[in-house]
Amino acid sequence: MSTRLLSLSRSVGFAVVLLVILLAVNLILNPARFQPGSWGALIGLAAPLIGAAIASTPAILAGRGGIDISVGPLMGFVNAAVIEVLFLKAGISSPLLLVPAALLIGALVGVANGFLATVVRIQPIVATLGTYLILTGVTLTILPAPIGPAPAWLKALAGPWSMLPLLLMFIAWGLVRRTPYYDQLMAVGSDDRAAYTAGVDVTRVRFIAYVMSGVLGGCAGLMLTALIGSADPNIGPTYTLIAIAAVALGGVSLAGGRGGVAGAAIGAIDIFLLQSVLTTFNVSTFVLQIAYGAILVLAVMLTAAQERLAMRGR
Amino acid sequence: MAGRNLFATTNARAVGAFCVAALLHLAGTILIPGYSSPFAVRAMLVLASLLAVASIGQTLVVIMGGIDLSIPFVIGFANVVAAQLYGDGWNFVLVCGLVGVLALLIGGLNGLISRSLDIQPLIVTLGIGMVVQGLVLLWTAGFPSGSAPQAVSSFVSIGGSAGPLPVPWLVPSFIVLAALVVLVLERTAYGRRLYALGSNPGAAPLALIDPVRMWVVTYAASAFFAAVAGVLLLGFTGSAYGDVGQPYLFQTIAAVVVGGAALVGGRGSYLGTIAGVLVLTEINTLLIGLGFQPSAVQAALGFIIVLLVSLYGRERHVSTTI
Repeated sequence: MSTRLLSLSRSVGFAVVLLVILLAVNLILNPARFQPGSWGALIGLAAPLIGAAIASTPAILAGRGGIDISVGPLMGFVNAAVIEVLFLKAGISSPLLLVPAALLIGALVGVANGFLATVVRIQPIVATLGTYLILTGVTLTILPAPIGPAPAWLKALAGPWSMLPLLLMFIAWGLVRRTPYYDQLMAVGSDDRAAYTAGVDVTRVRFIAYVMSGVLGGCAGLMLTALIGSADPNIGPTYTLIAIAAVALGGVSLAGGRGGVAGAAIGAIDIFLLQSVLTTFNVSTFVLQIAYGAILVLAVMLTAAQERLAMRGR
Repeated sequence: MAGRNLFATTNARAVGAFCVAALLHLAGTILIPGYSSPFAVRAMLVLASLLAVASIGQTLVVIMGGIDLSIPFVIGFANVVAAQLYGDGWNFVLVCGLVGVLALLIGGLNGLISRSLDIQPLIVTLGIGMVVQGLVLLWTAGFPSGSAPQAVSSFVSIGGSAGPLPVPWLVPSFIVLAALVVLVLERTAYGRRLYALGSNPGAAPLALIDPVRMWVVTYAASAFFAAVAGVLLLGFTGSAYGDVGQPYLFQTIAAVVVGGAALVGGRGSYLGTIAGVLVLTEINTLLIGLGFQPSAVQAALGFIIVLLVSLYGRERHVSTTI
């Protein structure tokens, strides 16, 4: 266990240090907000970004330019489909139907992405840009303006029960890690040619990675719905780039084969805490954006520098 | 492989994209009355020229194996700063010079950080772009003012004319610029180095190519052309708008890819990008002309990009790369 923690800290490295610093700063600046009583709402607030970062991870791990930029729009589409189509129009409110529906939508989008990126072999960023545009367009067509509300149980997932979906995502990834598939994924991500020569079905491994990104993205869409308690066609796509930034910050190599879901989640929490600190200072949104961009660049620079040091030390 | 795949070479891909653009234009002419009217064609040429200028940098950067997400932010930066300073009574030539130099610095910083520390340019350019946009917003307090000088407006005006030609000066100037870019890529040492570095970043330094220098120069060029597009857009829309560049984020990438470039580097051409720009402009005009809502246009655009790239932009299977 301790060796695993050590290897985790080495790959995530700087993001963990940043996490501790940011957490301390947040606690000093704004103790009320971080009271145990408000943890549920706080985690609910951070959950969609964490979910989006986790969802972006498998496709990136698969390597050779693997990336899924349709995660954000997928979240928006799930949000619109669940509230506008299933809940308000069709009157379905049971979690037993809505949760599988959201995951199914995610899986189908993942299958489409996987098919385009691995079977048709379009460059992943272009393939998922296509689904990005399609999903954004379709979302705006079925839902031109924000509408509400969301079912009560779903709203509770952004409050007292906000840990539940995140926990389920981690458990799901933990199960994946125990399968031989995980080793194949990392092998394909690090060196697909070597993996292919060793008999790994590279196409299948990558395809499944995109489907996983889709399913996790569907789950992140539910978290987003829980947080905003309504349907809004414009929020989803804003998560895309910031989620990928979180993944990179969390030590997941965008070249593939290195990092994991825990790192991505820590990267996302870093970004969330950073936003939280900057908001506490009550500065204008413009300063917020400058600091945000600058710290993002600084953080990846420090991560890279720290990795170099680690390589030298070995 | 080459025998079986008609679109194996970059040139063939560019020709394919030009054919698609021509077919789309034909379809538009048949389906929509007035699609090929002089005014409509002029409008398309102006819109295509603006996108093509913004895509110059993306083409260079992609050939080198990078990506530049800061283009929309630099476009917005140039747009707002030029309008603001000109509104404050500065000489416009001086304004353009200053904006150009600042853009070169922004781009150079993008390249320097990405290459020297070996960080994904995706994140670096996004972060730098956000800082630039934030600084501009802070400076103008979110409400940019000012406008373009008459000369710039008439340079890009759809109704303008360049001497005897029925198009504004933007279009012939762009053709000259495009020829220069193609020449630089095909016939200069810089162009060779760019392709070499993109094809094999590991081997290029052994051929005495300085990767950091190449990245700094190329990203600086990318930001410079984005700034040019920003100033031209100021003339086109008439007033400053910080988010004017946002549609160009994915459009420049889409144009480059539809034109046959590979985002892993080493493959692509500026002629291909121009073909990609024409395809995107035709699709947009066609769908809007057919009465689609903007959201439906977006969805259709995504669908068509995927369709086109699956025709001729397919990657090789891993078994053929060993």
